[in-house]
Amino acid sequence: MSRDFDVCVIGSGAGGGPIAYELARAGRSVVVLEKGPWLRERHFTKDELACCRRPVYTPPLRDEKHVIEQRDEQGRWRAQSNDQGGPNLWNGNCVGGSSNFMSGFFHRMKPIDFKLLSTFGPIDGANVADWPIDYAELEPWYRHVEEVVGVSGQVRPHAHEAPRSNADYPYPPTREHPISARIDEAARALGLRAVKVPRAILTRPHPTRRSCEYSGYCGSFGCSSGAKGSSRAALLDQAVATGRCKIIDHAKVHRLVSDARGRIRHVAWFDRNGAEQRLDAHIYVVACQAIETCRLLLASTGPRFPHGLANNHGQVGRNLLFSAGGVGSGDFDFRGRDPDEIKALRVTGPFVNRALHDWYRFRHPEFGDSKGGIIEFLWEHPNPTAHAQNAMWRGDRLLWGRELKRNLEAWFRTDRTLDFEVFNDWLPTDDCRVELSKQVRDRWGTPVAKVRLNAHPRDLAVGRWLAEKGERLLRQLGAVRIRSSVSPNPPPNLQAGGCRFGNDPGRSVLDPDCRAHEVDNLFVTDGSFMPTGGSVPYTWTIYANSFRVAEKIKSQLG
Amino acid sequence: MRQRPPENALESEKQALRERRRFLLQAAGGSLALLFPPGRTTATPAVDPWVTLDAALRHLFPHEANSPGADDINALAYLRRVVADPFVDADERAFITRGAGWLEELAQAAHQQLFAKLDAARRERLLRHVAARPVGENWLSTLIVYLLEALLTAPAYGGNPNGIGWSWLRHIPGFPLPDSDTVYWKLPL
Repeated sequence: MSRDFDVCVIGSGAGGGPIAYELARAGRSVVVLEKGPWLRERHFTKDELACCRRPVYTPPLRDEKHVIEQRDEQGRWRAQSNDQGGPNLWNGNCVGGSSNFMSGFFHRMKPIDFKLLSTFGPIDGANVADWPIDYAELEPWYRHVEEVVGVSGQVRPHAHEAPRSNADYPYPPTREHPISARIDEAARALGLRAVKVPRAILTRPHPTRRSCEYSGYCGSFGCSSGAKGSSRAALLDQAVATGRCKIIDHAKVHRLVSDARGRIRHVAWFDRNGAEQRLDAHIYVVACQAIETCRLLLASTGPRFPHGLANNHGQVGRNLLFSAGGVGSGDFDFRGRDPDEIKALRVTGPFVNRALHDWYRFRHPEFGDSKGGIIEFLWEHPNPTAHAQNAMWRGDRLLWGRELKRNLEAWFRTDRTLDFEVFNDWLPTDDCRVELSKQVRDRWGTPVAKVRLNAHPRDLAVGRWLAEKGERLLRQLGAVRIRSSVSPNPPPNLQAGGCRFGNDPGRSVLDPDCRAHEVDNLFVTDGSFMPTGGSVPYTWTIYANSFRVAEKIKSQLG
Repeated sequence: MRQRPPENALESEKQALRERRRFLLQAAGGSLALLFPPGRTTATPAVDPWVTLDAALRHLFPHEANSPGADDINALAYLRRVVADPFVDADERAFITRGAGWLEELAQAAHQQLFAKLDAARRERLLRHVAARPVGENWLSTLIVYLLEALLTAPAYGGNPNGIGWSWLRHIPGFPLPDSDTVYWKLPL
């Protein structure tokens, strides 16, 4: 039967890009529907207002809200539309998705991450499950990402290193900040091993992408050189160049329409003028980031799916994951340091690129043999207005006039702050999930996602344990005013889960190929498939899995 | 990178603003009742809120020999642009000018004078009085946040002429910076 396209991909981030790239290169016709605009390299500048202070890369909440359900102080669940307060869960609504704005800290998940249940046993209150595939099955695809998306780094063997099938990274490491060597020394003094962090950043030019220009402004900014391995720069631009991939931006998909046999017949979407459109394909791939993927499936009821597409076992939206952990900081006071040292501390541009993996698996005093996580070091984010806002309060007192100005001078001129970020498992629970709101709709009149948020107490305990280790390293480095904070608040840019893959259709949405158990022309390739999230940022794993699934789709198309 | 402080600090600030504004709208109905005790206000002549805002910005961020003040960073023009910017929450924009009206009423009630005509000591006392109440503090902190934007965002947005704010605080900006063609309202969004 004739269709408009072989493959329709909904969402253009790290989950969608590999499908478009591989299928278009394999001679298939692909359409990518992206809700946001198509911005190019020339549109991305180091603009604090655009990146972080105005709804430029994210929709205004008045148009597109989420309903956030959290426990109040009395422990009762309270739901509130987030234009009235609560976290903003949008990040990166444009072609390439949030991969445009990542820092590109690329860590592979490790073999034990695929087998948490069988390695560590069950945890009360958590729905821990093994993955239906093991590390060895994903390894070739991690390697493929290194080459196709472009990963720079240098292998420095350590006890928790994930096995590799190639000796080293295809791109040499990025330039490093003078602090990196000091972190290495401090770690050695503590009996630890600082790992060189691989980055999805080109250190040599590619035919269509420049190499890194070291502006010092990377994470949360779109990349103006093309060095950052966003789905847009690394994959979609190449897919379009084949002549077989069409990207439609401002295309808000609101429904996958299925027939009496339970197969998707077409996709319904609103164009930039709000007019409803439809198109069909042999295979549909959903990759809208975990929350929005769950929302789209739940909203796509049909004759065989009264509770949402692929949801006859009530699994869609369950076991939503974020990344647990938190942040810490220490200041390098300039007072008492010689001018050369101050100059070295003030260098901007090169990256820190250091992380500790020493406690990826460790013995916790209460929990015993446990899954831990990583600690990533980086300079405080360079956005100056955000930094200045720290100076406008002294305790609860609002400052202005000369008092404010002296405080600004102190905040900007007298020290530099080194941060660390802890990444550990956000355990899957019944209290972190996506449903459809019954009351609140978006500007197209479709129901928004209601997101119930709660963190397992173990996440906080492990996060605090790791944060204390991060503080120890900062002390060894000679930093002052060392502090850290581990909280149950989710980082909105680190989403996964909600459409688990697995062997049991009663307890998972997707089969091990990320094809819906109940809908054979539906695949999901963003982070939604992950039953557990590992303790590293998700992007490399999402890319690798999506490349793996692209092969399955090629086979299915015949 | 986790979305986190300082981004999260900003986000939580925005969140707090949203919550405080809602509180304001529900509890005060936009009246002066919450900001000032009843019975102390008198009829206020119609005053251009921008005259009041200009005086408030200059007081909040004064010029000094070695550091720029509100005029040096084009703070008033920057704020005018914010108040006309559809990318800024409409409630917040209304709140900025409405607050100027409240401040003017307070100046009338206390001194029977325009805020802009008061001496520095009286302005300071009035602003401290305003800051002592949550709604007033919210309004002042909103003004200060936009003052800091005028000080430290890219010059293409109208503040921070020639990077005067960056130079003062020895901040090194990134590159490329937005220019008149790449400010966010000109992007093909």
